[in-house]
Amino acid sequence: MPERTNSLTAGKLSADDLAAVLAPRSNAPTGKSLSVTGLRKSYSGTTVVDGVDMEIAAGEFVTFLGSSGSGKTTTLMMLAGFTEPDSGTIEVDGRDITALNPGKRDFGFVFQQYLLFPHMTVAENVAFPLTLRGVPKAEIRRRVGETLEAAGLSKFAGRKPRELSGGQQQRVALCRVLVYRPPIVLMDEPLGALDKKLRDQMQTEIKSIQRELGLTVIYVTHDQEEALVLSDRIAIMKDGRIEQFDTPRGLFEHPRTPFVADFLGAANFLTGKVEETTADGSTPVRLDTGGVLKARPHPCAPGQRVRAAVRPGKLRLVRAEESCCSGTVETAVYVGSLTRITVRLDGAAPGTPPLRIETAAAPPRPGERVCVTADREDVSVFDESDGG
Amino acid sequence: MRGHRSRTALINAVPVTVFLIVLFIYPIIGVLSLSLKGDNGAFTLHWYTDALSGANLSVLISTLRISAETAVLSLLVGFVLAHAIARMRPVFAALAMLIVVVPHFISALVRTYGWIIMLGEHGLINTLLTSAHAPGAPYSLLYNETGVVIGTTSVMLPYTVLILQGVMRGVDSRLLAAAAGFGASRWTIFTRIYLPLVAPGIGTAGLLSFILCLGYYITPALMGGDQQTVVAALIDQQVMKQDQWNSAAAFGVILLLLTFAGLGVLGLARLRRKKAHARRSSS
Repeated sequence: MPERTNSLTAGKLSADDLAAVLAPRSNAPTGKSLSVTGLRKSYSGTTVVDGVDMEIAAGEFVTFLGSSGSGKTTTLMMLAGFTEPDSGTIEVDGRDITALNPGKRDFGFVFQQYLLFPHMTVAENVAFPLTLRGVPKAEIRRRVGETLEAAGLSKFAGRKPRELSGGQQQRVALCRVLVYRPPIVLMDEPLGALDKKLRDQMQTEIKSIQRELGLTVIYVTHDQEEALVLSDRIAIMKDGRIEQFDTPRGLFEHPRTPFVADFLGAANFLTGKVEETTADGSTPVRLDTGGVLKARPHPCAPGQRVRAAVRPGKLRLVRAEESCCSGTVETAVYVGSLTRITVRLDGAAPGTPPLRIETAAAPPRPGERVCVTADREDVSVFDESDGG
Repeated sequence: MRGHRSRTALINAVPVTVFLIVLFIYPIIGVLSLSLKGDNGAFTLHWYTDALSGANLSVLISTLRISAETAVLSLLVGFVLAHAIARMRPVFAALAMLIVVVPHFISALVRTYGWIIMLGEHGLINTLLTSAHAPGAPYSLLYNETGVVIGTTSVMLPYTVLILQGVMRGVDSRLLAAAAGFGASRWTIFTRIYLPLVAPGIGTAGLLSFILCLGYYITPALMGGDQQTVVAALIDQQVMKQDQWNSAAAFGVILLLLTFAGLGVLGLARLRRKKAHARRSSS
């Protein structure tokens, strides 16, 4: 096990060191901007990517988040040039690169499977992109040495990739990309094969290198937490489309579709009818189960059927007020810092799931009568026709 | 417990050991002693000096040359074929493999005569080339070294294709894509990624066809001329026509040693790789 410990401790130092080694020679901000318009791809009649548009600023960390089959990897492969889009354009700093081969795009790639060359040593692997770029031998030796040193991999320079642990291999793969300082780095679930602890540590490394070098990183994952930790902005993908492209906070607090509301951190959905807008501009929704829930301003006509979404942590238990919804506590489970409660509202149709509430306050007992409400900023309203 | 197990292992090994002693070790010792015995029954190296001098030596050298040419040619053709097959979809790959292997279900004699019909002065190939006005056609493709090497190459081809195809299928195509992603040209990918990854297969396949070719008899005998006598044909001649068993035995031992030498080269290469590997690991 000594190697494992090594890789863990070495990693802590490495991220900043690595950035320090690579940064001084890059005068301008390293990253470049990326603009994607109308990207489409279908395989034998099945549309996999259905019109992706996005503007990514230089130095931004953007993540495609979605379940498998959402089109996130196909989109990345089109950006990389490994997959040819049916239509749409990709521009880097305003230059159209849609027709260029992967090698001509000068992107960096890190894949889940590392894809280190098994017949080359660690040093040869890292040197490979430099030799292709005609960098002088002495310069290659120096840069490879510095990069490996900073990543805490110096003593593995002469080893073959298969002699390294998964975390070390992924770090080599990262070095192999960063050593030639590509302006845009594409990563396809690079930490997918690592265990939790190593993954957390590598996330920190990747993030700090990206920030210090000002790299534009486009990242693909299905891990929500990873996306939230790393990203400046997250594109939530579903059925080949971007459901919402926003900052983690924006996605969490202002979901634009029911899917996004439920996908990130779960949501309670309540159906109802919009009432006359009140003076403070909020949208009151008379719930089918009785009671009124005030929601954020939403463009809709009085009488329209809507769905209101509230996160479990944003529902509050209150004494009977005018606009609260009464119900009975079904279960209350203590899970450490908070208690998870389920409440069946009076008048809820049989078969509908109970409300999920998370509270840090003294929890009620099962069977107790409660009244539930939420702040209007925490209630999102969607037209009933919206999917998700 | 351990003693019991090793005793059982010993008992299990008996049939194989007996089989090898009776049918392999004993004949080899017999051949060896035959090759070291003079006409009067005394020890002599006469048969070896005889085998390694004059016309006999040139037969040995031409055998080595033909084997080397066959190994190289079957590697070249085999590489192209295996590369194509490795990239096919499984169904077509299986079909292609069948086409390569099936001719070898036919008797070697029949197959060789097939080649003779194809390669003769008025054979299919020369007829085609002549009608296409190829310069210098018809070519003499039979009863010379060209004929022999064409024949032996066709015999060795399935082995090289099978070995190379297996190694090529093991190459992760995503590695090649990754190299392309770094900006490598197709030539660079081929020479710096693909070839090194299939190199062990190339070594094994080449050596195997070389070794197999050393002792091959039918094709050189039928498709070669007087100049293309190979060691196996010489042995046949000495035993069947001259009743000269001692000399034939000496040739047999020389062939065996050459084969061992070939295997030794392969083993040495593997050992060096392993040692280099171990050195790196311990450093």
